[in-house]
Amino acid sequence: MNTKISAKAWLLKVNELMASARTQEKLAGKKIKIMNVCGGHERSISMAGIRNALHPQIELIPGPGCPVCICPEEDIYLAIQLALHEDIILLAYGDMLRVPVNVGKKSIRSLQQAKASGADVRPIASPLEARQIALDKPQKQIVFFAAGFETTTAPTAGLIAEGIPDNLLLLLSGRLTWPAVAMLLEGGAPGFDALVAPGHVATIMGANEWQFVINQHHIPTAVAGFNTESLLAAFYSVIRQKIEDRLFLDNCYPQLVKDNGNSTAKKQLQDTMDIIDANWRGIGIIPKSGFELKAKYLQHNARLIFPDYEKKVRRHIGEMPAGCDCASVVLGKKYPNQCKLYGKACTPQEPIGPCMVSDEGACRIWWAHGTRDG
Amino acid sequence: MINKPQKEKYISLAHGNGGRYMRELIERLFAHYLANPLLNTQNDSVLLTLDQREIAFTTDGFTVNPLEFPGGTIGSLAIHGTVNDLAVAGATPKYLSLNAFIEEGMSFEQLERIVKSMAEAASEAGVSIVTGDTKVVPRGEGAGVFFATSGIGILDKDHSLSMEKIKAGDQILVSGTLGDHGTAVMLAREQFGLKGDLKSDAASVFPLTQAILKIEGLRFMRDPTRGGLASVCHEISRATQKEVHLFQENIPIHEQVDSVCEILGYDPLYLACEGRVVAIVSAEQSEEVLKLWQSIASGANACIIGEIREGGIREAQANVVLETELGGERYLEELEDDPLPRIC
Repeated sequence: MNTKISAKAWLLKVNELMASARTQEKLAGKKIKIMNVCGGHERSISMAGIRNALHPQIELIPGPGCPVCICPEEDIYLAIQLALHEDIILLAYGDMLRVPVNVGKKSIRSLQQAKASGADVRPIASPLEARQIALDKPQKQIVFFAAGFETTTAPTAGLIAEGIPDNLLLLLSGRLTWPAVAMLLEGGAPGFDALVAPGHVATIMGANEWQFVINQHHIPTAVAGFNTESLLAAFYSVIRQKIEDRLFLDNCYPQLVKDNGNSTAKKQLQDTMDIIDANWRGIGIIPKSGFELKAKYLQHNARLIFPDYEKKVRRHIGEMPAGCDCASVVLGKKYPNQCKLYGKACTPQEPIGPCMVSDEGACRIWWAHGTRDG
Repeated sequence: MINKPQKEKYISLAHGNGGRYMRELIERLFAHYLANPLLNTQNDSVLLTLDQREIAFTTDGFTVNPLEFPGGTIGSLAIHGTVNDLAVAGATPKYLSLNAFIEEGMSFEQLERIVKSMAEAASEAGVSIVTGDTKVVPRGEGAGVFFATSGIGILDKDHSLSMEKIKAGDQILVSGTLGDHGTAVMLAREQFGLKGDLKSDAASVFPLTQAILKIEGLRFMRDPTRGGLASVCHEISRATQKEVHLFQENIPIHEQVDSVCEILGYDPLYLACEGRVVAIVSAEQSEEVLKLWQSIASGANACIIGEIREGGIREAQANVVLETELGGERYLEELEDDPLPRIC
């Protein structure tokens, strides 16, 4: 797909295609619902004001694309306990620091509160920083809470493959994106007619990973990058696929995405991690959707080195907070402003659900770009 | 549950980012306890009358990591920051004071480079540092060096500027590309594996403000530092209760700034500048101001980027609307936390 055309020209093409007699006949007054599964996509869509510039029969749905939002609550709880009770430095991506866990109001509820109470918690932006901190403090145990999708898990695999410092341990909470989409599709009522697949994930894993959506589920699919040109090209592609009943996996981010992805990164993932059934917060166990360190890295696996701090009496383990619709928002079943907490009890200053914490959470993105009405 | 703002217990980095948290900190403590008729925490400088002479007075503190970056150092920044606060108030900057808080262990060599760049910046801006103080703090209690500068400038009585003069229909101009400083400093940290040759825009804006000060339709000027253009627009909207309407297509952004923001998921409209001016000018004279700016080197990329509109849909709230290149619209919200690089 040619992405040299400007975003404006793509917008025009999309809207013309929607207005054409053929499309209108085919849709018969219905909407075409396009899901994205990437916080970066949702941000670009909101930042460019694409929703209100598109033909009214196009509905854009933010799907499971926010790694912070689906990170198990019990993993965050464990990270907090390690920071509080072990003689370690805890490193985490900045977004993770503010996610509250389900403990009483008087207990320490987030990594940020743990930090404020004196625990050595440090936000980092890349695994390279984790390596540096470990090398700078050889006498100290460093635990890197590595949550994220393939895009951030691959550099973590690289860190291990290229020689991880002895004193660096991992609390790995990595997830694969495609199994979440597969789960939605296998559930029977996915709630979308077309899919825009995540370009940054595909740079690593390859576009072909998404072929199953076409082959097994007959849903038009295109891979897109974060820029508006690529996104609008992908919208155009999936709408045309739908109208013409001619499905094929379209790559609208060919500058960076290859069919088979980045072979070095994939090999590092395979060499260092196993794929396991994994829990997604608010969703549950999704088969073959998580990364876990291979047994040979036992001495770097924080889950095995430290005691289990989980209290079986802790209430609401793993659940989304009461009244919070993050689980439905993550699955694209509800829009952020349909949650009754949105903008009332739950705001970026005092977030309740994880989708309001992360810059990649749909609630935070919608709030940041001005959606105020419920 | 009701929507009541809850008070934080601790100072976080967000309380220093130029956005909502910082405004709330200032309102809750400094403006609250130190109130007097002259203190207006919304203004860059205070205008004083001393023995019938009118002067502008301001102060600013400087922390930056790294201390040296392409296009400047913390030393040149300490001059430009204070000079610029005076200049946008319509004053001619004259005299500066300097406080240096140096951390034990800092190298003489680096400190010398920083002080030299400070001297160059002062001489370019036409100001003298006329008094100062030096403190050394124990290792670990500073980040190399912090500076604080205060400055005095002379006011031109005939040309008073204020947000109160802003009317619907007025045009919004910016003197150059946005976000260069914030991006250059970020790149200089090399923490995201990104490298580039982008230079900070750090400079004295006095030539820019002086060039247009005599224009009668000039209502107000501000230099968009921390929090960027979006934060300046918020201050204007909140103070005037009018809508600030921006046209994305016309906002000048350097290509490298655009790419870095795309990769990290930042919005350039919230990134700091250290040598730009935002001016609000009557519609009739906006083209004249634009030409004056474009005729001087530091204003070569000046643009008219938006306009002031009556009210707006979200009454009683700051109302800053960006009309996107695609013809969509979105609100620019007040900066909350510091932006974080995306992890997806």
